[in-house]
Amino acid sequence: MKNPIVVLDNGASTIKVGVVTRGGEGKEPRVVQNAIIRSKGDKATYVGHEFKACSDFASLHYRLPFEKGYVVDWDAQKAVWDGIFSDQVLNLNTTEASLLITEPYFNLPNIQEVYDQFIFEEYEFQSYYRCPPASIISYGSLFSHSSLSPPECMIVVDSGFSFTHVVPIMEGKVIWEAVKRLDVGGKLLTNQLKELVSFRQWNMMDETYIMNHVKESCCLVSPDFKHDLEVCRVDPKRNPIIREYVLPDLTKNKRGHIRHPDDIVMDNDQVLVMNNETFTVPEIIFRPDDIGLDQAGLPATIAHCISLLPADVQGMFWANIGLIGGNTKFPGFKQRLLAELRTMAPVDSEVVIYKADDPITEAYKSAYNFASKPEFTQHVVTRAEYAESGSNASRRKFPDWRKFKQAEKEKGAGKQLEDDRPQPSSGKPPKARSKPVAGSSSMRRR
Amino acid sequence: MPPKRAKLARQAASNWQGLPPEVIAKRTKRHLDELENSNYSESAPGPGQEQDDEGTYTKGRARQTISDKRKVTIPGTSPAATGKKSTMNVRTALLYRKNFATLIEESNIAGLTPSYLTAAAPAPTYPPRLLCSVCGYLGAYQCRRCGMGYCDKNCEGVHNENRCVL
Repeated sequence: MKNPIVVLDNGASTIKVGVVTRGGEGKEPRVVQNAIIRSKGDKATYVGHEFKACSDFASLHYRLPFEKGYVVDWDAQKAVWDGIFSDQVLNLNTTEASLLITEPYFNLPNIQEVYDQFIFEEYEFQSYYRCPPASIISYGSLFSHSSLSPPECMIVVDSGFSFTHVVPIMEGKVIWEAVKRLDVGGKLLTNQLKELVSFRQWNMMDETYIMNHVKESCCLVSPDFKHDLEVCRVDPKRNPIIREYVLPDLTKNKRGHIRHPDDIVMDNDQVLVMNNETFTVPEIIFRPDDIGLDQAGLPATIAHCISLLPADVQGMFWANIGLIGGNTKFPGFKQRLLAELRTMAPVDSEVVIYKADDPITEAYKSAYNFASKPEFTQHVVTRAEYAESGSNASRRKFPDWRKFKQAEKEKGAGKQLEDDRPQPSSGKPPKARSKPVAGSSSMRRR
Repeated sequence: MPPKRAKLARQAASNWQGLPPEVIAKRTKRHLDELENSNYSESAPGPGQEQDDEGTYTKGRARQTISDKRKVTIPGTSPAATGKKSTMNVRTALLYRKNFATLIEESNIAGLTPSYLTAAAPAPTYPPRLLCSVCGYLGAYQCRRCGMGYCDKNCEGVHNENRCVL
C-alpha cells in the first residue's frame, strides 16, 4: 500500500478523518466541525478545523453544507475539505492517495455524481470508495463479543445530527427495502431545547453552540416518562431531576458547565435550570408525536423494520441490535430502548442491544479496519475507470440502494418505473441511460 | 340524566370554535420546518446566504465562492491545491447551489422503491400525548381557540397572555 488511504467519515455535524498507517496511529480520528462558523464576538469566520481557535461562543452563525442530512452546499463542503487536506490538518497530497468516504443512507443519485466529480476532478484522488456508514460497521468492534465473529444478521441504529436510520444488514449487505428513517436528529433536539428554554427562561434562540453543549451535558432519557414528569411537578425548585447549567460568562470563563451541588453560584452568574427539559427533549426520539411529527418512535420503527424482513431470521435480528451515532450517547438511551423493544419483540426472541464505546467515532473505526484490509483495493473505483465511464463506474461498483442491473436492462423500456411527470426544469437525460463520457454531468445551468 | 349529558358533550365537541384543522396542521408543519433551521433568524433566509460574505447575491448567479477566498496550502497538484481552473462540473456545483427540495425533484427517485421518499418511518399507532405548552407537564386541557395544551389555571393564564393564536 504505497498510496496513503484516507478514511473520511463525512458527517453532518462533524467529520472524522484520518490516514491509514502501519502503526495504527490513524485509529483515533481527527474530529472536525463540518461547518463554516462566524463568530460575532471574535469577528472571525472559522472553517472546519479552525473552529478550535474560537474563543467567543456566543451567537455563532452556522453555515452547514448539509441540509436534512444530504450535502447541498458544495461550496461550504469544499472549503471544509480543503482545510482538512491542507497542511494544517492532514497535509496530504490527494493526487497520490486513496479515499474512503461515507455518504448518507439513500443518497440521491445527482448528489452522488457530485461526490464523484469533486473527488476525481477537483482533488484528483487515485481511487475511492463511497458507502453508507452502516455497511462497514461489521468490520468494526460493535458486535464483538469475546471470540464470536460478527453476526450474520444485525440491525444498526444510526442516530445522528440530521436523522435516525434503522438499517438491517444481512451477510454484510444492507437490506434497503427494510431501512427506515426517523426525521429526528441532534439538530432538531437542540432547536427544540432552544425553544423551550427561550420560552421559559432566557432567550437562547441564537446560541446554538451553547445549547448544544447544554443538551449534551444535561439531557438524559427517562426510563419512565410519566413518573419523571410527576417528580418534576411536585416541586419545581428542588427535585432529583433538576440539572443546573452555569452559562458561560463572556468576560471570564469561556465554557459553561453543569453546576455540581457544592458549587457556589456567584451573583452575576446566569444559571439555566433544566427541570423537565432534561428528559422531554430526548423523549422526542421515542415519541415524535410530542412535537407533532407524524412518525412512530424509534422502538416502533425498529419493530416495523424487523417485520419487513424474512420471518425465519427475524429472531436473529432482534438479538443483534447496535447503536451508533451521537444521539445514542444520552444516558439511559440503551435501557429505555431495551425496555420498549422487549414489549414489542416476540416472546421467544432474545433482545440484545450493543452500544458502541464511542458512538461518534465507531463508524470511522470500522471504516479504518475495512480500509486496512488488503481486499479494499478491489472495491474502489480508480481514476482510470472514472475517466472511461464517468459516474457509471461508481454506480456499478459501490453497493447502492438502487438496483442497477435491473435499471440497465429496463432502460430500453423507457423507464416505465417512474411516473410520467413533466421533465424537471434542468432537462437532463434520465439516469439509467449511461453516458460513457468522462465526468458527464447532469447538472445543467438553469 | 345520561342522555342529556351525552347530548351536551356532543354539542360541545361539535362547537369547536377554534382553529380549523388545516390551520393547525400548517402551524405544526411550520414549527417542524423551523426546527430544521441552522440559525435562528426572524426573516429566515436559507442557511448561509449572508449578503456581506457572498457579495452580490441578489444580482444573480455571478458570485464568488467562499472556498476560493480562503488561503490554504494543500500539497500536490490537484486543482484544489494549485488553484488551477476546476472542471465545469465542479464549478457548476460550487456556484449554483440548489436546496434539498430541488435536488429531490431532480433526482427522479419518485417511482423507485426503496428510496429516500419511501423510507420514512411509519405513522404512530397510538394517539399523541397532549403536553402543556407552558410548563411541559401532561396537559389535561386544550385551549379552545388555538388547540394547544395546558395543565392548570396558571399555565392557562400564561398561555393566554403570550402564545394564544399566534
